[in-house]
Amino acid sequence: MIISHEMDHLIKDQEGWTRRMFEEGIRIKKLYGLDAVYDFSLGNPDTEPPEVIREALVGMLTSPEVGTHRYMSNNGYEDVREEIALYLREVHDLPFTAGHIFMTVGCAGGINVILKSMINPGDEVIVPTPFFWEFKNYINNFGGVVKFVETKDDFQLDVANIEAAITTKTRAILINSPNNPTGAVYHEETLKELSSLLNARREQGQDIYMITDDAYKKLVYDGLKLPNLFKMYDLVLAVTSHSKDLALPGERIGYVAISPNIKEYELLVSAMMISTRVLGFVNAPALFQRVAGRFQRVSVSIEEYQKKRDALYAILMESGFECVKPQGAFYMFPKSPIPDEVEFVRALQHEERIMVVPGRGFGREGYFRIAYCVPMEKILGAREGFLKIGDRYYRGGK
Amino acid sequence: MAVSKNIALLMKSSSWIRAMFEEGETLKKKYGADNIYDFSLGNPVTEPPDALKEELVRIASSKAKGMHRYMTNSGYENVRDEIAAYHKEVTGLPITRDHIVMTVGAAGGLNVVFKSILDPGDEVIVPCPFFVEFMFYISNHNGVMKLVDTKDDFHLDIDKIKATVNRKTKAILINSPHNPTGAVYNEEELKELADFLRERNKKGQRIYIVADEAYRKILYNGTKLPNLMDIYEDTVVVTCHSKDLGLAGERIGYILMSPRIKNVRSLIDATIFANRILGFINAPAIMQRLVAKFQRDSVDIGEYQKRRDTIYSILVEAGFDVVKPMGAFYVFPKSPIPDDITFVKTMLQHHILTVPGIGFGKPGYFRIAYCVDLDVIEKSRPYFMEVGQMLKKGG
Repeated sequence: MIISHEMDHLIKDQEGWTRRMFEEGIRIKKLYGLDAVYDFSLGNPDTEPPEVIREALVGMLTSPEVGTHRYMSNNGYEDVREEIALYLREVHDLPFTAGHIFMTVGCAGGINVILKSMINPGDEVIVPTPFFWEFKNYINNFGGVVKFVETKDDFQLDVANIEAAITTKTRAILINSPNNPTGAVYHEETLKELSSLLNARREQGQDIYMITDDAYKKLVYDGLKLPNLFKMYDLVLAVTSHSKDLALPGERIGYVAISPNIKEYELLVSAMMISTRVLGFVNAPALFQRVAGRFQRVSVSIEEYQKKRDALYAILMESGFECVKPQGAFYMFPKSPIPDEVEFVRALQHEERIMVVPGRGFGREGYFRIAYCVPMEKILGAREGFLKIGDRYYRGGK
Repeated sequence: MAVSKNIALLMKSSSWIRAMFEEGETLKKKYGADNIYDFSLGNPVTEPPDALKEELVRIASSKAKGMHRYMTNSGYENVRDEIAAYHKEVTGLPITRDHIVMTVGAAGGLNVVFKSILDPGDEVIVPCPFFVEFMFYISNHNGVMKLVDTKDDFHLDIDKIKATVNRKTKAILINSPHNPTGAVYNEEELKELADFLRERNKKGQRIYIVADEAYRKILYNGTKLPNLMDIYEDTVVVTCHSKDLGLAGERIGYILMSPRIKNVRSLIDATIFANRILGFINAPAIMQRLVAKFQRDSVDIGEYQKRRDTIYSILVEAGFDVVKPMGAFYVFPKSPIPDDITFVKTMLQHHILTVPGIGFGKPGYFRIAYCVDLDVIEKSRPYFMEVGQMLKKGG
């Protein structure tokens, strides 16, 4: 075979229905035209970066310093890391320094670098479900074993389930709050409970790291504040990207913040330097490191996202769907009216030209994901379709 | 422990490099950075061409929507179209955008290729001396590296390669122009290699040539890079713009899969998928747009050639045994004493910072990276002479 058996297996593992659905989507778009199709399948925000970023980029490039595009230290520019540390000191009230910050090729790159640095073959990583499918691939890349743990009905962490899943091989727990695909923001109380559970294991001599995918950390609604996890538990590695908050997903820029409470952080950083090199990232893209350094306090309009959430949630309620109201990110994860959500998603696509993703793509059958990072007109435009299909499934309408 | 056992081992094995680096830093502090001639890093001081800098300002100024969004994992279609057009022209082969996947540099590209083609235990042949990162790119994906010595002039030893190929061989990873020797493989040796691999193919074993062409434009004295895709069908080229356009920190490169590869589509799909799951997702957007327009350009190669000529003449005058490099910006002289680490330490006492050959799998040699200001090379001359004199005296 031209490709490896492992790769063939990986591709097939996810390709079946996604591929079919994707192709069907292309067909429908061609058939009806883009305007008549409501595509909620992708987490690719239509939002533009704040104008100040464009201005700063032009400024930087118009009078570039010598060496602007050269290699730098594998963990990134020191002055950039210092600026980020300063911001994190303020937000988390902990003594972050440039040494605790590691610039990465987005969140995906950051998580891979951490896992490469920490995971021995056979080590287990706990992942609450539903979950972002790529987590499984990231963990498998390094011979790690994924242990899935169901969340509660409201998609909050089920600490009892997590406790039951911990073994002597548990190396880390990978959490993502605000969450893709549910939009859940984990409660302070629950995180405290989780922290005490992990602290109890520490006392028995087992260090379990909390790796947090904070890609959506600024996208929280209703005036909610993210709990300060760094203050609850010592072994926290927070991975951030600027794909969503600064709308720069194509530029691949993010960073890992290592808790100042991790005593061995220098060893970990040395390991991550090697990992980022040998995995082929080498360093985060130079130009956008500089952007990240300057815009920690800036983000796209959260208000706009909240309006979209409110509009979509109202439509779903009106249509009769059962759905937990999300408090962050730009996803909703309603229950499918029928147990086979693939069939329902197909009907939605086929009959109402509304494209969403079946829950099994996130390890949870019977649900579906709506990514509402689309223009408001699209959300309002899809209302009729949602109402019609709701009518059919919930009230026996035609 | 906070780190995995494998990584801990890697850290230990690279500790002597660090020790040397730190010794260099100490000397820089003691004598001043200007008085230490640092030839240890392949981090070119060359700036990108002015036209490229201007174009980058233009792209960054654009108020068009979607400049920084995700695109398809293989990269922008129009970018790949332009790159394909360039390679079609160079090779005469029907290359289209489908044969190109934009990557986070050549290092990212090589990891993507090996993730796509290697099963655990599969072997990859690497001519030695070699860029030591290759070992990791292969072992990351559970492949096994098989080193094969090159000839005295650092050209391929085809007989040795033949003797090393077995049923598990999946690829040969070549790097020409070469780091650390500056060798450029000629058409004849590549044809000989291709003929041999084709024989294996007839027996049902497909062996890829994976070519790291990071230095493809840095060639001297009119040397031309042979058209590898024409010579051998199962060729995958990986390149980047770190050196030819001076964009090392921006991480931009691509994989080019020969249209002559049978069932190339499934290889393309695998590389796109690997690009995603390894966490690259896609190559940085703004740099994709930029490099599309500069496939035919490069930094001033004449400037590099001046540096090559200068360092080569210094080495010859000082009495070193050295093969004249025809590409890249490295030269790999023989160490006058068998122990290259000791020799490199001695050089350091004479203010010259280089890397011992053992760092490239070839003890008894050392590497000079001459991608530094010409002035630095000129000023290092008396120090090289000092070392030369000392060796003559010492015998």
